Amino acid sequence: MSGSRHPSMDRRTLLVAAASCALATACGTAAGQPPGKVAVLGDSLPWEKPMAAAGAAMKTVASLQLVPEVNPSLESFEQIVRSSLRTNKTPDMLKYWSGYRLRDLARTGGIEDLTDQWDGAVAKGWVDPSLRGAFTHRRRVYGLPMNLAYWVMFYNPQVFREHDIKTPETWDGFLAACARLKKAGITPLHGTAADRWPSFIWFQEILSRQDPRFYQDLMNGRERYTDPRAERALRTIASFFDKDWFTPMDLSHTDAAAALVRGTVGMVACGTWLGSTLAGAGGKPGDSVGAFVLPMADPKARPSVIFESSALVATVKGADHDEAVEAAGTWLHPAVMRAFSGALQDGCPNPKVKAANPVIAGLAKKVRGDKLWLLNRFWEQGPPELVEATVDDLAGFLLNPSSYRSTLRTMQGRADEAWKVWREAERS
Amino acid sequence: MTGTTTPAPGAAKPTHVRRGVPVRTPHQAAKAGGGRLGGPLAALPWALPAFAFVGVLLVYPFFRSVYGSFFEENGFTSSFTGLDNYTRLADDPIFGRSLLNTLMWVAGTLLLPVLAGLLIAVATHRMRFGGIAQLVIVLPFAISGAATAVLWNFMLTSEGAVNQVLRGVGLDSWAQPWLLEWPQNTLSMIVASTWQATGLNVVLFAIGLRAIPRETVEAAELDGASGWRMFRYVTLPQLRAVTVVVVGMAIVNSLKAFDMIWILTKGGPARSSETLALSMYRETFRLFHVGYGSAIALVLSVIVVASSWMYLRRQMPDVSGTAAQS
Repeated sequence: MSGSRHPSMDRRTLLVAAASCALATACGTAAGQPPGKVAVLGDSLPWEKPMAAAGAAMKTVASLQLVPEVNPSLESFEQIVRSSLRTNKTPDMLKYWSGYRLRDLARTGGIEDLTDQWDGAVAKGWVDPSLRGAFTHRRRVYGLPMNLAYWVMFYNPQVFREHDIKTPETWDGFLAACARLKKAGITPLHGTAADRWPSFIWFQEILSRQDPRFYQDLMNGRERYTDPRAERALRTIASFFDKDWFTPMDLSHTDAAAALVRGTVGMVACGTWLGSTLAGAGGKPGDSVGAFVLPMADPKARPSVIFESSALVATVKGADHDEAVEAAGTWLHPAVMRAFSGALQDGCPNPKVKAANPVIAGLAKKVRGDKLWLLNRFWEQGPPELVEATVDDLAGFLLNPSSYRSTLRTMQGRADEAWKVWREAERS
Repeated sequence: MTGTTTPAPGAAKPTHVRRGVPVRTPHQAAKAGGGRLGGPLAALPWALPAFAFVGVLLVYPFFRSVYGSFFEENGFTSSFTGLDNYTRLADDPIFGRSLLNTLMWVAGTLLLPVLAGLLIAVATHRMRFGGIAQLVIVLPFAISGAATAVLWNFMLTSEGAVNQVLRGVGLDSWAQPWLLEWPQNTLSMIVASTWQATGLNVVLFAIGLRAIPRETVEAAELDGASGWRMFRYVTLPQLRAVTVVVVGMAIVNSLKAFDMIWILTKGGPARSSETLALSMYRETFRLFHVGYGSAIALVLSVIVVASSWMYLRRQMPDVSGTAAQS
């Protein structure tokens, strides 16, 4: 046994050290960032650099720096947020969703009321006031808009020119463009159920073009999926299938972007954030990439556009709570927004900041000039678990378009249950 | 017997004593309660760390899941609902489809990679350049499940390589959206999984083949066995031990199939290709139906444990014999 003493001492020391570390990790409190720095946890890697740019810009206007932290797994991100919010180990700030997902988080009491910061930004003209509803829970604001993506139709101007197609200004013009593209051997529209969530895109687009008021009411549980107006929207989509206007339903957005630039797919419906994917596929704004807001099918309906905006949220129990709230107060400052949206190449919620991408800048000008009604995206509308389930129903419809009636009945059944649960929770 | 350290009393000639590890008989152990070596409780401090690890990492989570499955829990609030989550399982068509897909995975994984592994191992055994052939087949096993899924995604989409090849050779009517419709999406993914998993089975069967005594084969050859008869009556029985391992692993792997499905279809479209593992994940972590997800996890655990236990009990006579005696 001689000689075994030192190794056993070493092992003991090692064990004690390991146990201390484990205990410290388990029992310790969140250290947070050093003074002057606030961490923002997000779920998207492409947002890391823009967030760092915004953080650096904030330092020049508020002596505070935002430090991006990314958990690129959506599921893991949500788990961390939900499980840590009630503890003092929660992140200081979060990049979250707007709409009902934000409300779902706000009712936990774990995120900060940012109404004062919002009002301050509105007073300075730093934010479009019409976005307020998407960030509101019980009339208080719980998140500040980060980006502002419009949902539009991307197209290839060269292809349109080649086949003598004008950018559609009316619904009939849009249908004629599809027919012309089909005749030229180009698949007119990108439709997809790949990656699950995009299954809602066409339902959202067609419904909001045909009856934006009904879309808004249906999404907020005031109307029913079995309504003839919802049926009309699905029948319209089914008629596009009959005309063979859609790509195969397993074509991802990345592949569709490349096909659009190549000129084999005519139009891709997506948020303006697809711009960076199109650029990655070799698309040149104005040359091989253009975008337009899908015209209203009903000319009498209020002109509208779907938008998507992430929310910057401050947590109640974050280690750097006070600094996080202060940072929220300067988030919409033009210098911060310019740095952020310029790096992200997306639209900006601050009207004083022009989008860096000319295609998006043109769209923002049209949306603001025509005073289009901003409707939140399907994904952020309605109780999250209802949305998660109805996208699967819509995927089923896309693969079997003749099933539109049974799809709508199923969706209404889910909606009845989900709204009941949601409203019960609202009352409590 | 254990008492081989001393010659048997009454033996005519002293036999060669084999040196072995000293072993206490149960009688000695019982007698030594307060003796030098300590009683049964003396082992406890040594076993405690292991118990603690298994308890914290396995036993507690298991019973916590069982407990959680009696609650309706959304991550923030929780209310006792008794067996509601289990009755919901019975009514849920998605759970039914998920169970069916899981069974398809088990059947497919047992049939394809095990059979293909055996055939390839036998065909390449003692073949010229057989080692190289085996290496080529084993290579996909070195690729992660996630990377394999990405690779097969290129092949199985409507505009993917498989359909392009089919159209290229004039079999246009065979081209179809492989991942969009049930049941071919599940079947296609089983084939993709087979492509990856066969390699390991080839290795295991190849080891088994090399372990067959040369004499056994030569004796069978002298008796006139060759070809199919040799395979059926000599090779296959000799591979029994390896087959038990390969099939056991195939059952467990198929029951926990996840990464390939998640990347290729995310369980869709319309949840048509979900297995129990995916349904559990979606309900718990996407829809935050924690109690319902726990109920699915429990059903899956029961299936995994029951099928593994039944299989091993049947295939390992020694184990079952001991169990029967005790």
